[in-house]
Amino acid sequence: MPDIAKTERRIVGFLCNWCSYGGADTAGVARANQPTDLRIIRVPCSGRVNPLFVVRALLHGADGVLVSGCHPRDCHYSTGNFYARRRLELLKHFLPILGIDPARFAYTWVSASEGQRWQHVVTRFTEEIHALEPAPHFEELEPLYLSQRQSTEPKRPFMPQPPDLLAKLKEEIRTHLPELDCVLGWQKGRDALHAVPFFLRQEEDLERLSLDATCHNSLVRYLPEYKGKKVGIIVRGCESRALVELLQEGLIAREDLHIFAIPCHGLLDVARLEEELGRYQHLENLVIEQDSLRITVDGKERSFSPQAFLRSTCLGCASDEPVLADTCLGSFTAGESTPVTAPELALLDGLNLTERLRFWRGVMDRCIRCYSCRNSCPMCVCHDHCIAESRQPHWQSAEHSVTEKFFFQIIHALHLAGRCTGCGECQTNCPVGIPIFALRAHLNRVIAELFSGYQAGRDAQAVPPLLSYMVDEANIQEREWQ
Amino acid sequence: MSETQKARMLEGLAPRPLMPGNPYLPMPARVREIITETATIKTLRVVLEGEGAMERFHFEPGQVAQLSVFGVGEATFVINSPPSQKDYLQFSIMEVGEVTHALHNLSVGEQIGVRAPLGNFFPYEELRGKNIFFIGGGIGMAPVRTIMLHVLEQAKDYGSISLLYGARTPKDMSYQYELDDWLNHRDLHCTLCVDKAPEDWPHREGMIPNVLKELAPSPDNSVAVLCGPPIMIKFTVEALLGLGFAAHDILTTLERRMKCGIGICGRCNVGSRYVCTDGPVFRCDDIQAYL
Amino acid sequence: MSNDRFLAKDALGDFLCHCQGLGYTVYSPQKQEGVRESVVFAPWQKGCEIQLAKATVSPKHLLLPQSEVLFRFRHEKGEEGKSSAVHLEDTSQQAQPTLLFAARPCDARGFTMVDRPYLQGLYADPYYAKRREGLCVLTLCCNSGCESCFCHWTGGGPSSPEGSDILMTDIAEGLVLQAITEKGRKLLAQSDLPEAGAASDQATELRRKAWQSLDKAPDLTEAPHKLKELADNLDFWTEQSRACLSCGACTYVCPTCYCFSISDERRFSGMEEGVRLRSWDTCMARHFTEEASGHNPRALKAQRLQNRISHKYAGYPENWGSFSCSGCGRCVTHCPVGIDIRHIVLAAIALPDTQAKEARS
Repeated sequence: MPDIAKTERRIVGFLCNWCSYGGADTAGVARANQPTDLRIIRVPCSGRVNPLFVVRALLHGADGVLVSGCHPRDCHYSTGNFYARRRLELLKHFLPILGIDPARFAYTWVSASEGQRWQHVVTRFTEEIHALEPAPHFEELEPLYLSQRQSTEPKRPFMPQPPDLLAKLKEEIRTHLPELDCVLGWQKGRDALHAVPFFLRQEEDLERLSLDATCHNSLVRYLPEYKGKKVGIIVRGCESRALVELLQEGLIAREDLHIFAIPCHGLLDVARLEEELGRYQHLENLVIEQDSLRITVDGKERSFSPQAFLRSTCLGCASDEPVLADTCLGSFTAGESTPVTAPELALLDGLNLTERLRFWRGVMDRCIRCYSCRNSCPMCVCHDHCIAESRQPHWQSAEHSVTEKFFFQIIHALHLAGRCTGCGECQTNCPVGIPIFALRAHLNRVIAELFSGYQAGRDAQAVPPLLSYMVDEANIQEREWQ
Repeated sequence: MSETQKARMLEGLAPRPLMPGNPYLPMPARVREIITETATIKTLRVVLEGEGAMERFHFEPGQVAQLSVFGVGEATFVINSPPSQKDYLQFSIMEVGEVTHALHNLSVGEQIGVRAPLGNFFPYEELRGKNIFFIGGGIGMAPVRTIMLHVLEQAKDYGSISLLYGARTPKDMSYQYELDDWLNHRDLHCTLCVDKAPEDWPHREGMIPNVLKELAPSPDNSVAVLCGPPIMIKFTVEALLGLGFAAHDILTTLERRMKCGIGICGRCNVGSRYVCTDGPVFRCDDIQAYL
Repeated sequence: MSNDRFLAKDALGDFLCHCQGLGYTVYSPQKQEGVRESVVFAPWQKGCEIQLAKATVSPKHLLLPQSEVLFRFRHEKGEEGKSSAVHLEDTSQQAQPTLLFAARPCDARGFTMVDRPYLQGLYADPYYAKRREGLCVLTLCCNSGCESCFCHWTGGGPSSPEGSDILMTDIAEGLVLQAITEKGRKLLAQSDLPEAGAASDQATELRRKAWQSLDKAPDLTEAPHKLKELADNLDFWTEQSRACLSCGACTYVCPTCYCFSISDERRFSGMEEGVRLRSWDTCMARHFTEEASGHNPRALKAQRLQNRISHKYAGYPENWGSFSCSGCGRCVTHCPVGIDIRHIVLAAIALPDTQAKEARS
């Protein structure tokens, strides 16, 4: 690109082949005066524009991105722009949490005959981009490190599992085990604080089954691996939603499952407890009670308040009722879940755009690209064929730059839009503690705002918001370009 | 420590031609000739650039090269011209992935990169005096061609020399322009077979392991040298063992995805052995568990 | 007479400044905030807080960066836009001298395990060699064991010197520095640190106590043999790998995992120029060995776990005469599903020989 330092900005335009590209042509033929900052990429349809095209351009230095397609009801392919409208509106609401000014992105509709409208839109958008500072260079920003510690009280007070729950669960599993290939549960790992997934196959295994507030792994993640086999799974309310989401997407079959639903009053954030305990050699005892958590390490007993060490994803939980179950054990709390902002998201909400970008610049730098966020996500179902590693298409470079690392988180978050059930495993399992759940939590918030309170995993028959559209969207206010 | 481990530590790596300088830096080379073998296979003849580069380049039959298309990447191919060919290096390339696609799109005169020679080679000195039964399946004929031509140059030093070359259909057979020479060679018993034969096919029909069983070569004082796709290797080795060949007398070349080519990057290992430095030529008793 | 030196805690910054003055880029453990604290080795500058905690991720990136340029290429265009010549720029000799402050003995021993394949194989790796030559390692002894680490199982210990140029012992008011190599001796001689004197005995006593604090290590002599027997026992490995997510956490936090990928990256506009990169890669991912044809010799996570564990405890020992696991325990603590390499190796050893053979399927 030529030197654009002073007079021009880098603006990328994605124009649909049938309407807007024609509109731009019409404006050109009519010799309408236009700013020259825009670089046009012709696409078959605005529905072809992956929101990631836009983010990638913006992260790599574009000052603005404009998407333009046919007017609603005029799409050459009937409905492409209806889907585009939902995705692009979502993107517009997503950009701020990244620290990218949403004013850098606009989408609109221009028909092939509207040369004048094209001239107006492109002039207006270019002026707006010129009014902004040139886009910040992500890599060159000074990192901002902020301590994020939970300050919210949980919606429901923490309670340990009732003492007889495990025994009851074992009895139920014992009854059903003969007809099942295996039952997914948990057992203690290297010590009492560290639970691990457990795959019960025989009656003897029941002795090792464990059930307490340290059992955090989402077992739903494994279900697609067992497709075609009859398996049992122990789920809590939140995990049942992930299960429903997989059913909704046709990745597992209901008749293959036996769901053992258990009540839950919060899970412990083991990583933060480890941080408090520091280096220890032997963990001798762990007692989890309603208002005291006692851990004996190397002969010394330490006491904590369990309320203060709950996982951030548990804080806003109003109900532990399972959406689906074959066997229900214990009593559940019903209730309408009203949104509670996760603490990692609240932290970002309190920052301005530049601070947010600097925040991501800081925390993403230490990402080691192990992809345990992706691989532990129950909704990440492409596992071995992720575009993060693909060369064709070549979305991601192997270069370990903070831009590439951040971009992967954006890919992950956007691929989960309308699908994420908010389990938080991505963040819990990050070896270097990057608060990536904030991106998913924010998208869930936006999805609910834009699409009438939609929450993923509530109804196996529901159509996900990004796979549907309304001719007149209730909550999308399109820009007028006056 | 087991006996084989001890033996291996004593034996070490066979002396072989090595690359000089930074082993990650390809030598510049130019495409001199392109032969279209089948719908999916092309043979490239390339010449190393620079005064005397071809004369200085030495390799042994079975050694491989990493070919670079800069901007796309690298992939491994056996040098399938015999070492006596000093005018060019020949590679037969089946189009399957990103790099092979780029190699197929090259024109004569374009520049590529070559890292070679890599890997070990066929122990042709140890094979002197023995009957050799070569078996090539599809593109696996490439490495077999190198050692076969090399052995045929000194045919009097060996016992009987045979070749069984198979492909899916006659159209999938590479080196068509050489097949007549091989069939009529006075020192070579050449058998061709295809999985599915058209009516006018004068040669055999059937999968390589089955045709091999029909041919039933004697294992006495004999060595089998084979290469082909993994599934063909697996069943052909079984067939050879069934015919009485000792695993030690079955030599195969293995292919694995490779990156560094010098025994470090950890991709091509078969147990503790690395295809790029301990291979690609293996005796079957070393790697049977992994076939 | 000991030549140990004493470094007071309040003089740490001055000492690191002094090292910078000698031409070293200094890396030290640094705490970074997040959902939880993370300790990473990052460039130290005057004013940075000095941390002595064990790092979350090993310092191997000082020798093997997460990604590095192997060479740059530039095409010269000829007729019809075809490439007529390619210019290559070798970047193997560009590394600058680096000082690593407060690694742990497991980290330093890890370097020696990576050294062998990179320096003593058929070819020496010039990028690695250049970095290694310029690296000075100051290691902080551990004053106790911890629940997840097991350096003494694999031949190391809380004060083992392999891979270090200087060993440091934390005696509360300061560090006692003991030179291990000539490089370390030279660094101490160039400093104006006082002699340690009696503090030296205190350090020795602390090191002895650290050793005493460790649980008895199991005998791993049989591990290579047993793992080799188990190489094609898919049932064993399926059981061990059931919970595995095939992520790369274990390999990327590991000080001795050294696998990499090589890939070409073009600059934005077409074929004109670009770089060949070497970047970390993980043998736990399916794509690691997947060939263009679709054939994959390690398509199952069971096969990949088998490869990883057997490499460390059987294949590498066969080739290089030592385990390639320094027992830092990071793979144990950072595995999202708690897969514990210690349990797998012990399970392999515990399997009777005959069973290992019979169980082959």
